[in-house]
Amino acid sequence: MRLRASSADQTLQDEVRAFLAEVLPTYADVPRALDDKMDTLRAWQAACYDAGYVGRAWPSEFGGGSRPAVEQIIVDQELAAAGAPEFANVVGLGVLGPSLLRFGTDVQRQRYIPPILSAKEIWCQGFSEPEAGSDLASLRARAVEHEDHFVLSGQKTWVSWGQYARWCGVLARTEQTGPRHRGISMLIVDMAAPGVEVRPMTQITGHAEFCELFLDDVIVPKDQLLGARGEGWKIAMYTLGHERGTAALPRQVKLRTWLDRLVREAGRRELDGRALLADPETQRALARSFIDIEVLRHHAYRTVGEYLSGGSVGPDSSGVKLLMGEAEQRLAATALDVLGPTLQHGDPAETAENEFWHETYLYSRAATVYGGTQQIQRNIIADRILALPQE
Amino acid sequence: MDLELTEEQTWLSESLTTLLQREWTGAETAYAAGPAERDRLWAALVDFGLFSEELGAIELCLAARAFGAHLAASPFLGSAALGFATGFPDNARVSVAWLEPGGGWSSSGTLTSVRPVDGRKLAVELAAEVDRFAVLGSVDGAPALALVRADDRRVTIEPQPTLDASLPQHAVSFSGADAESVMDGDVVARLAAIGALLAAAESVGAAGRMLDDARAYAAERRQFGRTIGSNQALRHLLADMYVRHSSAWSTVLYAAAAFDDELPDAGHTPAVAKAYVARAAREVAHGALQVFGGIAFTEEHQAHRFLRRIIVREQQFGDAIHHERELGRALAAAIATPVG
Repeated sequence: MRLRASSADQTLQDEVRAFLAEVLPTYADVPRALDDKMDTLRAWQAACYDAGYVGRAWPSEFGGGSRPAVEQIIVDQELAAAGAPEFANVVGLGVLGPSLLRFGTDVQRQRYIPPILSAKEIWCQGFSEPEAGSDLASLRARAVEHEDHFVLSGQKTWVSWGQYARWCGVLARTEQTGPRHRGISMLIVDMAAPGVEVRPMTQITGHAEFCELFLDDVIVPKDQLLGARGEGWKIAMYTLGHERGTAALPRQVKLRTWLDRLVREAGRRELDGRALLADPETQRALARSFIDIEVLRHHAYRTVGEYLSGGSVGPDSSGVKLLMGEAEQRLAATALDVLGPTLQHGDPAETAENEFWHETYLYSRAATVYGGTQQIQRNIIADRILALPQE
Repeated sequence: MDLELTEEQTWLSESLTTLLQREWTGAETAYAAGPAERDRLWAALVDFGLFSEELGAIELCLAARAFGAHLAASPFLGSAALGFATGFPDNARVSVAWLEPGGGWSSSGTLTSVRPVDGRKLAVELAAEVDRFAVLGSVDGAPALALVRADDRRVTIEPQPTLDASLPQHAVSFSGADAESVMDGDVVARLAAIGALLAAAESVGAAGRMLDDARAYAAERRQFGRTIGSNQALRHLLADMYVRHSSAWSTVLYAAAAFDDELPDAGHTPAVAKAYVARAAREVAHGALQVFGGIAFTEEHQAHRFLRRIIVREQQFGDAIHHERELGRALAAAIATPVG
């Protein structure tokens, strides 16, 4: 068991903090207009990559740092604690990069990994479809193999940052017969290829970071098949498990910064002449949210620990995902409860803060949907951990 | 930054399970056990070396979890907690005398004096079978802990009704009893923290057993021509119970490790663990009763005995609301403190 940060960990923490103190102020105010926002997030990721804080544990032959996996987690936690912006290439770093590293050929890794790390090339994922959400294996996008290429047609949805992406990892059906999970392949699609059309869609938060993707007889060269033909489902499951397992630690740090912000806000705002925070009910509501976030941290340490010591990210990552959604939603709902009528007072000085909490609340509703719904996570646990009989 | 058990810790956990299977009557007949069975278990635990300075909070929590899984009864919790709090564990059987008429689990506001020891304590576990009491009192308004010999003539012990018949509780009156020693507020705080952790760990053990039993039942029991565990309503209930139990153990383990490593957050993590486990263990127990259905509403079925143990441990050393209030006050106080 190892909880105390080693001196090497502390040195790294100090380094990251010094870097953030110097460089973060330039990028801290992320513009709201989407194009400007993307430019800022790209520049921020590039600055972090130059400092060695992106892909720190990825192989150095492909532009990474070849350092132990724990170092990236330390870095990510420091970034989250400082309120740093997200990286532009969130899908490349969290989803498709790890898949390329695990399943890609050397040529593919040489070609695609370095620009993922530097944010020169943004990636998106084309997994979900209008008729294939939780039931991903029922997807209909179809790729037909020809001499030296596939011809790909179909429609994808929830394509994050699709309008800025250079590449998209698309799951498409390559076999029309046999078990449906085995008939899916993963193709690397050039977003500039003829037949690719992207339409941004506005989310409930008012932002348009997701897109619909229309693929109409798109030519995909065969060397852009990731893994073997028919291996797409396996790759997607590996990828999603990986994302669930490693995202929790930086996420709990982020949630903690939001909770601290809420406590400060409750200490500052008054209702009926008394600070919100003076109310014992308010204190207890905040404490319950604090407990959620703490337990998420403890549970993630236990499950990620197995991964860091060489194990794989197993089905317990589904439990982490359930706790992560629960903690985020409770925190956001607690903010509405705690701030209460002060959110309606309309004080112009509070507008930005009120918007932050409303947006945090609205976004939190996605926390139990994205990356596999809570119900899908429960199915995974029931099947793979509890070995309950199938429906 | 990981929470994996060492080989020695895994060995300890497995050995204690073997010991409990051999030296304890088992969950099925735990309610028929009396002082003779508890003495036998105690002797085996002493022989095993459970009260040694080598054992940290993690090891003690592993032991407590095994106790919960087997519904074991012995003065382990009080003895281990005092030994850990003072740093000088020995083989004396100890019960913690904390709660007072009209009072809660806060260490302040106690009406008991310590020189000599004068006061009335409630819910003192296995009071008739211990060598010493660790009595919460106050000196000049500050919390203090007095050790009192159980055979002191100025100590009277009366049985109290309890939810868990395998763990007799007593009201104990101290009428000018001698304090063998009096320890300060630091020991009181350590005792409260480790006591909360051990109670939580035992609940996790009991909840884990209920989860295992419910899972096995759901995989076997048939209704409507199919196994009930193939219904999504029950699959999801069991999945939630699994996550609750698993995360409950994670937080106990983290708090114990934070204690052993003297991490800066060791001050609040026992409260986090106790508050979370109090709700989590109950949730798992309720879920299990629902999976079992009517059969678990019978006296004969063992589910209610685990549930009762969970509720008793939930209430000791502060329940969820107690710790949530304390943590909430601390969050507010941290903001109120002027910086610099």
